[in-house]
Amino acid sequence: MKQNLYQPINGGIVDIIEESPTIKSFVVVLEETFKFETGQFVELTLPGVGEAPFTPSSSPSDTKKMEITIMKAGHMTALLHDCEKGQKIGIRGPYGKGYPVEDFVGKEVYIIGGGVGLAPIRSLFLTLVERINDFKSVVCRFGAKTPDDFIYKNTLFDSWQKIDGVDIKLTVDGASGNWDGNIGVVTTILSAGDVDISNAVAVVCGPPIMMKFATMKLLEFGYSPEQIYLSMEKNMSCGVGKCGHCMIGKYYVCKDGPVFTYDEVKDYPNIWD
Amino acid sequence: MVSNMQTVLISELKPFLDALSEEMELYVPKKSGEHYVYNRYDSSANVQVEFNNIRTCMPVKEFLFPLRELAAVYPKPFEPKNIKPFAVFGLKYCDLRSIEILDRVFAEAEFEDSFYIARRDKMFIISSDCSQPADSCFCNVLGGKPFAQNGFDLNVSQVKDQFIIEVGSQKGKDFIEKHSGLFRETTETILADRDKNRIETQTQLEQNNSDLKFDSPVNEIVENSQDSVVYEEEAKTCVECQACTRVCPTCHCFYLYDNKKKDYFTKMKMWDSCMRIAYAEVAGGANPRKALGDRLRHRFMHKFSYFFERYGIDMCVGCGRCVDAEAGDVDIRKVLKKLNEELKGKDETKAEAAK
Repeated sequence: MKQNLYQPINGGIVDIIEESPTIKSFVVVLEETFKFETGQFVELTLPGVGEAPFTPSSSPSDTKKMEITIMKAGHMTALLHDCEKGQKIGIRGPYGKGYPVEDFVGKEVYIIGGGVGLAPIRSLFLTLVERINDFKSVVCRFGAKTPDDFIYKNTLFDSWQKIDGVDIKLTVDGASGNWDGNIGVVTTILSAGDVDISNAVAVVCGPPIMMKFATMKLLEFGYSPEQIYLSMEKNMSCGVGKCGHCMIGKYYVCKDGPVFTYDEVKDYPNIWD
Repeated sequence: MVSNMQTVLISELKPFLDALSEEMELYVPKKSGEHYVYNRYDSSANVQVEFNNIRTCMPVKEFLFPLRELAAVYPKPFEPKNIKPFAVFGLKYCDLRSIEILDRVFAEAEFEDSFYIARRDKMFIISSDCSQPADSCFCNVLGGKPFAQNGFDLNVSQVKDQFIIEVGSQKGKDFIEKHSGLFRETTETILADRDKNRIETQTQLEQNNSDLKFDSPVNEIVENSQDSVVYEEEAKTCVECQACTRVCPTCHCFYLYDNKKKDYFTKMKMWDSCMRIAYAEVAGGANPRKALGDRLRHRFMHKFSYFFERYGIDMCVGCGRCVDAEAGDVDIRKVLKKLNEELKGKDETKAEAAK
């Protein structure tokens, strides 16, 4: 008997972390061993309600539990936000191709993120810092609407910034009170001199509009389309390249992505919508 | 005793179908209005079985990938089971070619869809020759034929008041051998008559589609049409009924949705359509194909360019069902023709400029 592609692995929510007014992280434990690569995604089922794709925000090296950071954006995510510890869930996956971390070895990794886009980036960041000496540097440029909208505040504002080989700059669209960082969209803190472009890769994840303008900025700096890695948000449903919802041109984002180089997707219509 | 079991002859369909229905659930075409639809065969009913001269209204995918099916149950895992052997009589070559296309998707080694595979394994395919292609049939333009070349267990050709049955697989051969008493030997004359019929139908198809000629392979024409204005123009009469994708034997989009039952939960799998506005929308509201023209473009690009690039065949068999079902005025043949003219125009402009 072939394994049923659509059958989730049973699991439950063991902890919930409030990250921002609209974003929570759900710590999930599954009944079966579950391994994934950073940047791959899973289909999370809220039994009887629905299923939606999310990229885990924890490091793949933590095989006991997995964290999934979710913004309240629609019907299912709103119901997820109402869930309490102990809620049963289902997980299918992992699906797709994640970040090609081995290809980043010896390079400067320039990570640009915004809003809940920091979720997949956190998984990548943790993966990179676990072996930080393998990379020339990890340079992060993150943005959020307000200081309170940053997720992972405890580590982002503190311990991550102290890691040798890591450089983090933050910006917000607007702030009141004691924010002494930059104000402006994320592209305002990008500079051509942030890393040595000839030996760098760029990773972009965030709202579509931010990804578009960050990508344009990187191209302007002289990055080649092959150097820019995008984590595409599309309507992945089956996860196995059949149901068709997530197609960008010839690609099934669920199977061929969700991480693509800009070069792979740039010629297809409406990629940022 | 029949010496050549490869092709045999029978004067009446009933004994043949009765024998089939004793071994498996049998589905046969029945005329309903102007179309044929499939019904379960009942050997006790004294009804003349109709030999469909053309494809049925609904596509064969219904048997392999039903409109709606149970895909998962939890917390208790669920696997497809209890799928009984079944036979479908009267499938046309376009149907068989569509199964080949669906196989690429659902039987893909990396991610086999166990529901599809379970049904596919239990399916006994009895194809038959077309004798009266519809005005909308254009399979010949896309490499099809009005009679099956391969992909069947048995194929039936009507010649006057007799039926030639040809074996196409081991399963088919076993069946004929088991029931050899039902059949007679074919003759050179009757086989020649069959071939004559086939040529006549092929000629008629070619005549019907004589104005549907392309200057480049269809996949090249469509691949070059990414920026074409033809899609916006042609989508103007589309009323988003999605019938084109429902009746399409190769369209296989679906969505998964969850249900709450008394003490368990289910996940259902149901046909979807890329022509539906919210099809590609994400929770945040972003939608890469809000415009109808963009959705029509995607449907064509998927069928003739993306699918071809991935699997090496077109995702269209030229059955013309979408033309018949269309509530607006979108005609796949007309769109392809316009794209061909557009590309030809572009090539000519380029050639002029190069002079």
